[in-house]
Amino acid sequence: MKRVVSVSLGSSRRDHRVEVELMGERFEISRRGTDGDFERAVQLLKELDGKVDAIGLGGIDVYLYAGKTRYVIQDGKKLMDAVRKTPVVDGSGLKNTLERETVYYLREHTDLLSPGTRVLMVSAVDRFGMAEAFAGVGCEVTFGDLIFAAGIPYPIHTVSELEELAAKLLPEMTRLPFHMLYPTGKKQETQDEEKIKKFGHYYQEAQVIAGDYHLVRRYMPRLNGQTIITNTTTADDVTFLREKGAGCLVTTTPEFEGRSFGTNVMEAVLVALLQKPVEEITPRDYLDLLRRLDFKPRVLPLR
Amino acid sequence: MATHEEITASLLAFQEGYNKNERLKIMNRDWDRVVLVQASDIPSQHTLELRNGELSVREGAPPRADLTVISDSETLADLFYGDITPTEPYMNGTLKIIGSEDDIVRLDFISLMIWGE
Repeated sequence: MKRVVSVSLGSSRRDHRVEVELMGERFEISRRGTDGDFERAVQLLKELDGKVDAIGLGGIDVYLYAGKTRYVIQDGKKLMDAVRKTPVVDGSGLKNTLERETVYYLREHTDLLSPGTRVLMVSAVDRFGMAEAFAGVGCEVTFGDLIFAAGIPYPIHTVSELEELAAKLLPEMTRLPFHMLYPTGKKQETQDEEKIKKFGHYYQEAQVIAGDYHLVRRYMPRLNGQTIITNTTTADDVTFLREKGAGCLVTTTPEFEGRSFGTNVMEAVLVALLQKPVEEITPRDYLDLLRRLDFKPRVLPLR
Repeated sequence: MATHEEITASLLAFQEGYNKNERLKIMNRDWDRVVLVQASDIPSQHTLELRNGELSVREGAPPRADLTVISDSETLADLFYGDITPTEPYMNGTLKIIGSEDDIVRLDFISLMIWGE
């Protein structure tokens, strides 16, 4: 049996373990949250190194992409560097392939993304592939990176402006402690009422809300039937979205035992299946494997 | 060590960079804040005030500040001239910013929007 573990800076309340069979191979997939405790995450990674087949880093990104430029989040890199023997990934490779494909799939097979659909991405620099794909299929996009991460009421409406601002800001911002940029630990269980009051209208004006689930959840006001495109959702999250008034949930990663896993977990699973050094894996490798596994987004009506 | 006058000149350069950036003014229309800039090695205090997106600079301390920026005079002058970014001195403790985390991120953001590449 192959063992894949996701070590997350997120809440340990979301920990879980499942066994699945993929391409004739048994997998034990587990997620272990460290409640925002960075040192505990480093310790856990060191303990797992060499003992499991692949590790995913959750609740934090290591690499952000904007256009052809890759930005490295220093705190994420420190976690990655704690692992010496086992392949370790943060999900960014899969975001750039699977999530792009998800948008094309929804455009082709559903009526959720017709041209002109108003899409809010709460944060786009952590999902640049998806952002480009939304713009590419003719959606009217709003990237909320400045609004929700920095509290600046400035919606970005083009991929080129997103890239331009990323080039100015990310080389430095990625050096800040990660908790200043992204909700970690207990913050993931609460909502930011002040920002909801101030910026909730961006959600209400959109037809589709996409991006990292913790960010989507943290700033979500009362909705009126919007589609949510995300992953890492649990059964409780589905209840939360239903209560908020979301119309439909699309998860980009497959569901195992009632929950969709984070991209970091799924990328770690693919790495374990590919049995190639991470640095030699190409987007084409991921795409081929995803097709062989027949991964498709899950569309769940909530009304 | 920089002088009080050099810090004043750096803050005026910062103000000029800010006021030339129309997009930055739009971004900060909702962010009215008073910032005290204080040198730790010489007697030097300045007030930065953001109101309706416009930035003003004056010598001396304000009656009340939302944010306080404290560092040695050399770092302050380098910072507001854009010779260094705030991240490095902030992370190594040379630069102290007292205020809410959201406001600190936003001040960092303004500095990067003016000088960042």
